[in-house]
Amino acid sequence: MDILEEIKKILVEILDIENHIITPEAYLIRELGAESIDLLELAVAINSEFNIDVNDDEIFLRKLRQYVTEAKQQNNDLLQYLVEKLPFLSRKRLENIMADLEGGPTLKVKDLISYIEWQKS
Amino acid sequence: MKFTGNRALILGGSCDLAITLARRMIEAELFPILTYRNEKGREYISKNLKDCQKKHSSVYLEFGNRDSIDSLLHQTGDDIDFMVDFAQGNFESLVASADIEDVYSYFAENVSFRAEVVKRVARIMMKKKKGRLVFISSAAAKRPNPGQGFYAAAKLASEAIYKNLGLELGSHGITTVTLRPGYIDSGRGKKFIQDHSKEVINKVPIKRALTKKEVAEAILFYLSNRSAGFNATEISMDGGLTAGK
Repeated sequence: MDILEEIKKILVEILDIENHIITPEAYLIRELGAESIDLLELAVAINSEFNIDVNDDEIFLRKLRQYVTEAKQQNNDLLQYLVEKLPFLSRKRLENIMADLEGGPTLKVKDLISYIEWQKS
Repeated sequence: MKFTGNRALILGGSCDLAITLARRMIEAELFPILTYRNEKGREYISKNLKDCQKKHSSVYLEFGNRDSIDSLLHQTGDDIDFMVDFAQGNFESLVASADIEDVYSYFAENVSFRAEVVKRVARIMMKKKKGRLVFISSAAAKRPNPGQGFYAAAKLASEAIYKNLGLELGSHGITTVTLRPGYIDSGRGKKFIQDHSKEVINKVPIKRALTKKEVAEAILFYLSNRSAGFNATEISMDGGLTAGK
């Protein structure tokens, strides 16, 4: 099963957008315009389509900024802390996310794919 | 009456009202799935619906026991079209004299646990893109008697959960209604009415308690297609009890 293609099908239906603008690098909220109700629908669809448990806070990186604050308050190594909290994302991806935080919600389509692969492994 | 769906989960399924509702559902060709929290409840359901054994099922769900949600949903096969929620622990105490540990556990069981059940069932319904939930609240949510503060607070908090679900997922085909019955000649209410008969009935403009049959009939209506315009709202069914001063 091609996870990206399945995700595209789901997003086309939920967000009512063209298939070709959904790429692994597309920002789900910033670019594709997903709102909270769309993310809920997406979580339910991923659970159903891929038969995996979906934790909405994890897959949509909802606690990312909270983790950053916690790491700073506890004087932890930030990247290491994030690797532990979000184990489905690579260290390199987390570095990119940290560099991108000021631009708004950092969630990309490829993060969903990472989560699904991690849950299925 | 017509219904969009067939399988109806009834939380708190071993009370008299739930049994009455289940019978009406079976007559309407719905399939009720009644929850029980102990063996006594299971036997009560079985005994009272023994003439229609293949037309209903019963499953274990104990409010406060989170593992029981998994087994409940597993047994329902993730296939639920309707949910009617009667479940509610009783807790009578004056606010200023309540055991605070009891208060914490009461809200954990009757609000937080309910929120988890509602969340899980709503996600099942989202997959089907339809679902109807009816929460059975109480006239006490609007007008509690002394000693009913925590009961009323838990009912109001639960009403808010259901209301928001209907608000958030109405566009996805999932809608909710809260029914606030007054005095019912059934269950806990029956004994109260027997003990305080004149005083209670005099407060009700229609001068009688509700029967369980008429409440069950109203619930069935609010599950039916005819009531599709009702969503994210509370409806009083109390003979006018809470309308006046």
